[in-house]
Amino acid sequence: MTLQVIDNATCTFCGCVCDDIQLHHDETRIHQAKRACVLGTAWFLNHTAERKYPDALIDGREAPLDEAIELAATLLHEADMPLIYGMSNTTCEAQKECAALADQLGALLDSHTSL
Amino acid sequence: MGGKVTCTLGEVKQRADFIIYWGGNPAECHPRHFTKYTIMQKSKFLPRGRKDRTMVLVDIRETKSVKAADIFLQVKPGKDFELITILRALVKDQAVSDEQIAETGLTREVLDDLVQRMKAAKFGCLFFGMGLSMTRGKHMNSAALLTLAAEMNAFTKFVAMPMRGHGNVTGADVIMRWQTGYPFGISFNRGYPRYNPGEFSTVDVLVRGDCDAAFIIGADPGATMPQPAINHLKRIPTIVLDPHVTHTSRLARVHITTAAQGIGAGGTAYRMDEIPMPLKPALKSPYPTDEYVVRRLNEAVAAKPFWLPEGKVPPMLTAQV
Ligand code: SF4
Repeated sequence: MTLQVIDNATCTFCGCVCDDIQLHHDETRIHQAKRACVLGTAWFLNHTAERKYPDALIDGREAPLDEAIELAATLLHEADMPLIYGMSNTTCEAQKECAALADQLGALLDSHTSL
Repeated sequence: MGGKVTCTLGEVKQRADFIIYWGGNPAECHPRHFTKYTIMQKSKFLPRGRKDRTMVLVDIRETKSVKAADIFLQVKPGKDFELITILRALVKDQAVSDEQIAETGLTREVLDDLVQRMKAAKFGCLFFGMGLSMTRGKHMNSAALLTLAAEMNAFTKFVAMPMRGHGNVTGADVIMRWQTGYPFGISFNRGYPRYNPGEFSTVDVLVRGDCDAAFIIGADPGATMPQPAINHLKRIPTIVLDPHVTHTSRLARVHITTAAQGIGAGGTAYRMDEIPMPLKPALKSPYPTDEYVVRRLNEAVAAKPFWLPEGKVPPMLTAQV
């Protein structure tokens, strides 16, 4: 099978954010990450497009996405002082939504930087 | 980190002839930093590449990065702040006693040589890592180092840059600064953003048990935080968004699987020098992106009554004496 090639892909594993990676993939798995370092190669090769996990879990049981979102919104809305934390392994677009969520909830907003 | 004396990695690559890594191990944590941005690159101003550049490594122990360094300074653990302060004094020809220097585990000759080299450089760059900013002194260490870089500009061009670690932490700083005015440790509980690390930073909040719900995205505190913090996450309803079922997911009430950034999800990520990079996802993930899920959450919360009823002030404002 021939692999598809993506040039100048971006690796987000470390702060270097190398944007010159050549990825060879077959749509479910990346087989080769050229120019990436050992860490970057591991990062690209370990993530697949397979359905490894359930869409969502509620109390450890599998649940549909919509139900999980609804429950999450209720839990956060009911709380007096919710905390929104993390945002390292995610895109800026999602981070912006998190800031909006914290604003809406009157929540605490914090990232990995404060550790 | 607003207001720091810094530059982009492009400038470092083109011009920096004197590079100091402080409290970091780029050879193992940022493997392509040397080759892509700093010491190995040839440029118009430094045509001989590695030969035109000097690299100094300051750390408490020998790491794999030592091999790449021209000069290695082994500082005593917890004495970074003292060493930076001594350097700041030496740079300005102020008196420093031998005992003070001995305390850092280094000698006067070594430090005099370093200061002389720093002043002789055309373009110096200080990269500092977690070994500096996460040990005794914490942000005071970073602040001292940034001041040293600023003060060096009386003699030559000098900049400082944090070696940011995992993923898009730089982006989180930048986005929070843009949206709220502060980089982290923010509270909206008065209806407007306030900044107070130590009070609003996550570890402290969790260890004290201040929050009564937690939304964790793109992080795994269940694997990295101190046990009392994890115990509190177990007690309260925790919601996790992650491409994997993580340690935190196992103690959470709700886990939602999302696409991994840069692999199944597109968007933007910031490099450590605060340059935004577009992502090129290679795979089509069966899971939604973080952005989509948080936006849906926002919509779901917006459909509920606002936490602060119309015309009321936040209770904690009136509760204050
Ligand atoms: S390829 Fe290596 S150095 Fe570059 S961003 Fe990825 S992990 Fe970092």
